[in-house]
Amino acid sequence: MTSVKRWYPATLILSAAFLAGAPFASAQIPRGQAPPHEARPTPTPERVAAGKKIFDGTCANCHGVDGSGANGPNIRGAIRTMGPEGLYNRIYGGLIGSGMPNFSYLGQDKIWDVVDYVSTLGQVSNGATTGNAQQGEQVYGSSGCASCHMIDGQGGSSGPDLSDIGAERSAAFMHDELLNPGANRPDGTPGLPDRSTYQAYRMYRVTLPDGKVIEGMRVNEDSFTLQLRNAQGNIVSVNKLTAKNIEALPDKSFMPSYKGKLSDARLNDLVAYLSSLGGAK
Amino acid sequence: MKASSRNLICACALLAAGLGFSAPSFAQNVTYNEILHADQHPQDWLTYGGNYSAWRYSELKQVDTSNVNQLKMQWVYQLSHQGIFESSPIVVGGIMYVTEPPTTVTALDVRTGRPIWTWTAKLPARLLTIGLFPTNRGVAILGDTVYVATIDAHLAALDAKTGALKWEVEIGKNSDGIAITQAPLALDGKIVVGIGGGEAGIRGYIDAYDAKTGKRLWRLYTVPIAGEPGVNTWEGDSWKYGGAGTWNTGSYDPETNTIFWGTGNPAPDWNGEARKGANLYSCTLLAIDANSGKMKWYFQFSPHETHDWDSAEPPILFDAKVNGKMTHLVAQANRNAFYYVLDRDTGKFITGQAFAKQTWAKGLAADGQPIEEPNNQPTVKGNLIYPSITGAVNWTSPSYSPLTGYVYVNTREQGAIYYQGNPTMEPANPADVGGGGGQKVLGGDQAYSAVRALEGTTGDRKWQFKMVGDSWTGTLATAGNLVFCADAEGNFFALNATTGKPIWHVQLGNSVRANPITYEVDGKQYVEAAAGNSIFTFALP
Repeated sequence: MTSVKRWYPATLILSAAFLAGAPFASAQIPRGQAPPHEARPTPTPERVAAGKKIFDGTCANCHGVDGSGANGPNIRGAIRTMGPEGLYNRIYGGLIGSGMPNFSYLGQDKIWDVVDYVSTLGQVSNGATTGNAQQGEQVYGSSGCASCHMIDGQGGSSGPDLSDIGAERSAAFMHDELLNPGANRPDGTPGLPDRSTYQAYRMYRVTLPDGKVIEGMRVNEDSFTLQLRNAQGNIVSVNKLTAKNIEALPDKSFMPSYKGKLSDARLNDLVAYLSSLGGAK
Repeated sequence: MKASSRNLICACALLAAGLGFSAPSFAQNVTYNEILHADQHPQDWLTYGGNYSAWRYSELKQVDTSNVNQLKMQWVYQLSHQGIFESSPIVVGGIMYVTEPPTTVTALDVRTGRPIWTWTAKLPARLLTIGLFPTNRGVAILGDTVYVATIDAHLAALDAKTGALKWEVEIGKNSDGIAITQAPLALDGKIVVGIGGGEAGIRGYIDAYDAKTGKRLWRLYTVPIAGEPGVNTWEGDSWKYGGAGTWNTGSYDPETNTIFWGTGNPAPDWNGEARKGANLYSCTLLAIDANSGKMKWYFQFSPHETHDWDSAEPPILFDAKVNGKMTHLVAQANRNAFYYVLDRDTGKFITGQAFAKQTWAKGLAADGQPIEEPNNQPTVKGNLIYPSITGAVNWTSPSYSPLTGYVYVNTREQGAIYYQGNPTMEPANPADVGGGGGQKVLGGDQAYSAVRALEGTTGDRKWQFKMVGDSWTGTLATAGNLVFCADAEGNFFALNATTGKPIWHVQLGNSVRANPITYEVDGKQYVEAAAGNSIFTFALP
């Protein structure tokens, strides 16, 4: 995982809810290749509208009408991880070994229309921010955020990557998450975009066969096993068939609440800083 | 199939089982009679549904509840053509015939997985696959010929021994949006096959072809035209692009020479405003005379459907006592989340109930028609309805075990917010069509898949095995009292058919998106699963 790493951070802290879920595909998967084609025309509202029409009829059944995933993966924000050329190639050539067919017959013009429309998916309107972003960056640095979160390659990786968070979440949402972490967890499987989706960053308490109790955040799960990351960052694999008890803790989070820890002004500054991060590149 | 004759077949099969099934005598040459008595040839897998009744049940019982946890991998075949792999193999006389996406047939040695021959369809550069994946779910075999329906809607007949193309005929025009992913059904001297493309605004039909020559014997349209009975169930001329594809393999009752075949959604999918009426014969089970292609009866599960809940799911045939009288039944676990039991001689509804969460109907009336909830339609702003567009079950096959009397259904529990879009369609235009809307599914932990055991005659749930993720695997039941299935995460597993208790599982590294089968060679029972772009087989050490 290289170019897309920023979209698939390992875990939480500033709350997983900042991420929209499992997007398009990881860098290890070979991409469909398109032959030489015209450069991307300048996006216009007309092209976006034309792309939406094609998307609704051709793509929405798998990717959902808003691109948040259905039979196929979430592609909101895919423009940031794949770029316009990457999207063009994927639509043109499909993805071998997946459910993504080859849409080469649409032709260059219509494929670019779809790229233009998909580029609009997952971009949120930030809403008004009253804080000072520059001061917010200092709050970010002094509040311990970077020990768990990464921005443009700097910081910890146990929480969601925040490099594009300003394009993914509204200011109001981030404000709420800082006060009530874990309240709005997204569905998605961070790091495993080609797998099933379920609520990301959920906490569990498990009683093992020997009576030992472990608590941690889910990093993966299938029908027979559950992998948890504990407070020390270690990953523990649980056999679901032999565990004495498995309890989901949907309201718990590793992320501390900043309620009462940051003044309203500093909180607003922090939100302003986060809102300034990211966007289509 | 009358109860008496079936009992005789079962008795023969049990006798054969006791003797350990001698080697097949027919090599790559299969008679109709052998498919008819597939139960007596459990060492092979002769037809898509395992038998004409679509049981997907094997009399093999070397692998059973006491030893299934000792299964070991025997061989792996990695596809030469990658893509969505949904093929259910046919096994005959030491050869496994498997289809690779989008339309390649490969013959494999059943002991080693080594390829013997391969044939790939020549496809148009501009292939239309509207509303479906470019894949293939299997072949049919009759005599020394393998039949495959190509993704561009041709029927190809191949020499079973060499893969040489004997003949190829066009079933439908792919440029009209007609595409085929299903396995054909081989009957006595004829090959029956349906079509997909409901989202492309086709007018559905099902065909029968002469197995020797490829000459079309009959065609039954699933949407009436002006002047025909039922056309008044379509507003205006909306019947012209009515959809009602026939895209999944059906079943067959040799006693009455009747084909049972489900039909797909009306078009456009999620907006019924321009096609008011019941929209016959969409979302319907058809009983068809195999000789004439005439409809004997029909039962429409979802009149005026607007959620893409096709009724193409495999119909299962079995006999059981109803009100003290042995009755010929056909059962279907429908995508709309209801399980139906009908009298297969008359089409009369006997019983039915929901087998998964649904919010679109209060229940079923005495005649089996839904008592619909108000506000169960897609809306412009979005309307939360259960199940989701892909339904409580989709194309994957359930199985039926005569030992337990249960139908094993891989069930999806998931709701979706349904949106209504453009009410009109431009047939065969993938850039414009649409199904008139779409969905946003409720994912996360509230959505899950489960293998559910339903009592065949009532639909009462006996047990379930919950899975993580969106599983697209059919079930396989065996005389070893096992049910095999797989989850979306690549776990292929065996459950106790009576209790649902998991006994064995193995991680195959990718989703299993196909119906598993079982066969026997050299006195050893193999269990097959297709995961990712590979075939895996397992047997006892």
